[in-house]
Amino acid sequence: MLRHDIVVVGAGLAGQRAALAAAEAGHDVALVSKLHPLRSHSGAAQGGINAAIGAEDSVETHIYDTVKGADYLGDQDAIEFFCQQAGPTVIEMEHFGTIFSRGDDGSLARRAFGGAGFPRTIYAADRTGLALLQGIYERLGTETIRMYNEWFLLSIIVRQGRVQGITAFDRKTSEVEGIAAKAVIVATGPAGRIYGRTTNAHSCTGDGVAAAYRAGANLKDMEFVQFHPTALLESSILITEGARGEGGILTNAQGERFMARYAPHVLDLASRDVVSRAIVTEVREGRGFPGGYVNLELMHLGREKIESRLQEICDFSRSFAGVDPVTEPIPVYPAQHYMMGGVGTNMRGETNVPGLYAAGEAACVSIHGANRLGGNSLLETLVFGKQAGVAAATYVSGTPEPTLLPADVEREVTRFRALWDRKEGESPSALRTELQKTMDQFVGIYRDPDELFRALRQVRALQERYRNVRVADSATAYNIDLSDAIEVGFLLDLAEVIVVGAIARTESRGAHTRVDFPARDDKNWMKHTIARWTPGGPELSYSPVAYTRWEPKERVY
Amino acid sequence: MKFAYYPGCVAKESGKELDLATRWVSARVGIELVEFPNFSCCGSGFLDEANGLLNVALNARNLAIAEKAGLDLLTVCSTCQGMLTFANRRLENAAVRAKVDGALQPLGISYSGKTRVTHLLQVLTDQVGADRIRGMVRRPLTGLKVGAFYGCHLLRPADEMHSESAEEPHSFEDLISALGATPVLYRGRVMCCGFPILFVKEPTANRIAGHQIHDAKAHGADAMATPCPLCHISLDSFQNKASTAVGEKLDMPIFHLPQLVGLALGATPEDLGLPRHLVSTDAALQKLGRVAVPA
Amino acid sequence: MFAAEKLITVPFDVYRYDPARGGEPRYQHYELQLAPHTPVLTGLLRIRDELDPTLTLRYSCRSAICGSCAMLVNSKSRLVCRTPVGPEVAEHGRIVVDPMRNQPVVRDLVVDQTPFWDRYEQMEPHLIPDPQRPMPEGRTTLMTPAQVDRFKDTPRCIACAACYSACPAVEADPEFPGPMALAKLYRFVVDPRDGGHQARLRKIQTSGLWLCLRCHLCTEACPKEVRPSERIRDLKELAVRAQGGTEPGSRHAIGFLKNIEEGGTLNEMKLVRQTSGLIGTAKAAGQGIRLVRKKPEMLKRPKTIEGIDEVRKLYRALEKDEEVPL
Repeated sequence: MLRHDIVVVGAGLAGQRAALAAAEAGHDVALVSKLHPLRSHSGAAQGGINAAIGAEDSVETHIYDTVKGADYLGDQDAIEFFCQQAGPTVIEMEHFGTIFSRGDDGSLARRAFGGAGFPRTIYAADRTGLALLQGIYERLGTETIRMYNEWFLLSIIVRQGRVQGITAFDRKTSEVEGIAAKAVIVATGPAGRIYGRTTNAHSCTGDGVAAAYRAGANLKDMEFVQFHPTALLESSILITEGARGEGGILTNAQGERFMARYAPHVLDLASRDVVSRAIVTEVREGRGFPGGYVNLELMHLGREKIESRLQEICDFSRSFAGVDPVTEPIPVYPAQHYMMGGVGTNMRGETNVPGLYAAGEAACVSIHGANRLGGNSLLETLVFGKQAGVAAATYVSGTPEPTLLPADVEREVTRFRALWDRKEGESPSALRTELQKTMDQFVGIYRDPDELFRALRQVRALQERYRNVRVADSATAYNIDLSDAIEVGFLLDLAEVIVVGAIARTESRGAHTRVDFPARDDKNWMKHTIARWTPGGPELSYSPVAYTRWEPKERVY
Repeated sequence: MKFAYYPGCVAKESGKELDLATRWVSARVGIELVEFPNFSCCGSGFLDEANGLLNVALNARNLAIAEKAGLDLLTVCSTCQGMLTFANRRLENAAVRAKVDGALQPLGISYSGKTRVTHLLQVLTDQVGADRIRGMVRRPLTGLKVGAFYGCHLLRPADEMHSESAEEPHSFEDLISALGATPVLYRGRVMCCGFPILFVKEPTANRIAGHQIHDAKAHGADAMATPCPLCHISLDSFQNKASTAVGEKLDMPIFHLPQLVGLALGATPEDLGLPRHLVSTDAALQKLGRVAVPA
Repeated sequence: MFAAEKLITVPFDVYRYDPARGGEPRYQHYELQLAPHTPVLTGLLRIRDELDPTLTLRYSCRSAICGSCAMLVNSKSRLVCRTPVGPEVAEHGRIVVDPMRNQPVVRDLVVDQTPFWDRYEQMEPHLIPDPQRPMPEGRTTLMTPAQVDRFKDTPRCIACAACYSACPAVEADPEFPGPMALAKLYRFVVDPRDGGHQARLRKIQTSGLWLCLRCHLCTEACPKEVRPSERIRDLKELAVRAQGGTEPGSRHAIGFLKNIEEGGTLNEMKLVRQTSGLIGTAKAAGQGIRLVRKKPEMLKRPKTIEGIDEVRKLYRALEKDEEVPL
């Protein structure tokens, strides 16, 4: 049985930052990831990272913008801390070696992003996630950390009221191992692949969130799912908000810059939920193009600006949509993009399970409340990745040795055998496709109660059918059928939590829009949704939102 | 078709047979070669590694010489083709242009950047054309299976060379067909011959050369043909070492491009300098029904 | 825009091999009806979903940024998520998919990238602190546009290993670190925040820098226009400028430079001496004799070109230029 002080699961920005913090504190750290760290979905983030660094901007404005962007469901104490940490965090990443875009004076370049009162989004062309991921990976290389690359998380073991470690398997051999650990940090990112129309990578299946949930961790605010307004029509590949930050505009089939009607002050740079709803409305009301989309126009920005500042999306547009943004508009429609919800933590990354931490998109602190501002996610990974690493490092100093039992490993081995031995059964990909269709159709931007109930019934039917899932590929090296099967189980669990939460919340707030409850209801619903795993399904409770200074107001852009 | 003829250093010396064959073929297909005794070496890629800017300037001078005569440049070496084309591309950068102009101006030289650089292979396939060549063939190379070996710098970087597809070129194979021979496709035809590291780590260079020749052979080639005399050095002059490196007697005749063309147009081996090769071309000539020439 | 396209029949021949089960590699044939702009990756995933769940490959983002899905498509290095099936079918009639080269096959299209990552790690790919210029407290460093520009496109690298797969020097010699590692080394050598430039250049000169063939196959294969061969060229020039002729490779380049200054055209025999020294030349004597027998003019000094004075003036004007590289 393997053993480390701290196991970090997920090697994107949050996971690597947590591992770095824990290693710097002198602990024996393992980093477990089902992909090579540089392949993590953090690398797909495009537009930028927020920090109020310039003299004209202020941390105060960043805090207010985030509080408002969250539609007042964000915890204001955490948001204050978060925004205060932003400047030092970005400076630290620059010192680690991150290559950012610069202004002529040599300082960090900044662009405007949705919902922001000031251009405070620091960027590296339109591949900021990649730049930061390279920066943290390079720095991490100076520490001694045990890397378990292409190891797949199966379960988090909790015994005697605290974390004892994880079980996982090496994808190259399909051998299941137990890794005993005093603390586990979940940083496995989102579960966007619950949806078919998602900007997320195929790997985004919420593994750590589901494992934490099954191990007794509370999930928070899962019903708040962000849809990004500008995803390519067919492939749902992300076209960064930065394109609008650089001056791109949205037009409908009548050639109208329709955002003027929905967000008269900031137009196309309103927050994402506002813009997404606007696009869906335009299409529903017949002002979209045949096939159901609107146009993102960049042509007026000129070839030079597009090809230098928006290099990657230029490439995406040409390669994946057959459109040259220099001369033609890009067809876009909203797609699932980010999960505001996740494993519930406080500002230190602590969950309700001693020894279990979470950070990044997998966690919900909550900074983003009901809707996230662009540029705040990259920041969150680093701020709370560090916090979780530091907190875990302190925790393990006073903890007894972990005990992982052979039975913990045997349980998973038996499960594998069952999946392989089944002669007939459901294919993982068929179940996944049905789940995705259900979520796309019924749990999207505009939520109808009948449709939500239908979705819940279908998810539960799929969970039932999942008991009969079989793995047709018997090879032990790099068995995707096997990992697909495990992932579908995670997706179903999380989908259930999302739908249950969406049914329960009878208001519209941020990204959660109920057609039967179109208004925000602060009196009854200014609270976080907490979901706890029970054998019968998620059990919901509610916790208060922390606020320090900003009274909820009507949210107008 | 009249060109400023840029033979490159090797064609003037150890690769003299290339120059011989070029002249023989040019005379017969109507290419007029104008010589310039003041052309300097293209740098071969090595000079570039010591001083890139100076390399551009030296080649800008070469290109200016052709420009002054109102002629485009004809190369017979993939490497020269690459280096001279690079110079034109580099000069599109304003900072480079300023420095080079600044160095040329005191010499009374000015270069507009417009001299076109073409390789004999391109002239034969684009300007003369495969059909016309087919019409001039007097001794079809029937029965000879030839693997083309393009040489890296003729094709890449593709966005600079603007020749044909760098991954799947076919001009040389088209020409081989027009000559009556059978082109052989094999992976190595667009790869490297190892020449650039021949004096850095010879065994590796030999291994690379041996690998490409073996590949051609495994696909049925009786002979290879190349438009680059540096490749020719690696593949022919050092074939003995290549054979040792891959543990196989390769015995592969390596023709220069114009030698292959010349044979089909009726030249004798002596006309084309074939006896100068380190690896005898007898076996290939025998396939064409010719008597072997004594070494 | 990809309007509603007519579906075409796409025949796939996909490399299958499981070393754990032994046997020989083979190609398995599949056929799908796909729109021409459909990426090969989508085709492979549909093969998995509809026809054969035993096929394995790496993939994740499907948007050409994670670097997982580099493979050979009709023998060409490609990110399969960004390779439409239409043009390949039009040109070749089918889609042959192979795993990348120069990396051992784990199973089917999945290769073992350990040697690739190891070579990258050998470059010390992290900022080495500069004791003369420590990081400023409480603020970022400043980087001028010229300094930023010097990175060229090396920050675009997604470590997909397509360059490594395409490289004949990697194929032939384990001493060569490969294009990606060297492009990353370049990124650190030109980083104004890094304090290890000289040490890095010194080290790489003796661990494979000069084995690069300048063949540009890596630049051709790279899906992100990093142009590693050109960055390697820059490294070579930086090394020569900073450290002179300490290795055969740098001696060859410097020898070439001096050689042309003398006569304007290459003196082949002299260059051999300049690169390899007297002993090296003596060692090469056997081969030299073989060559000289067939090509006796190699013994003579070639005729100096006309206008050599112009050449020498250009040398004077540009030999000390500080702004390197191009």
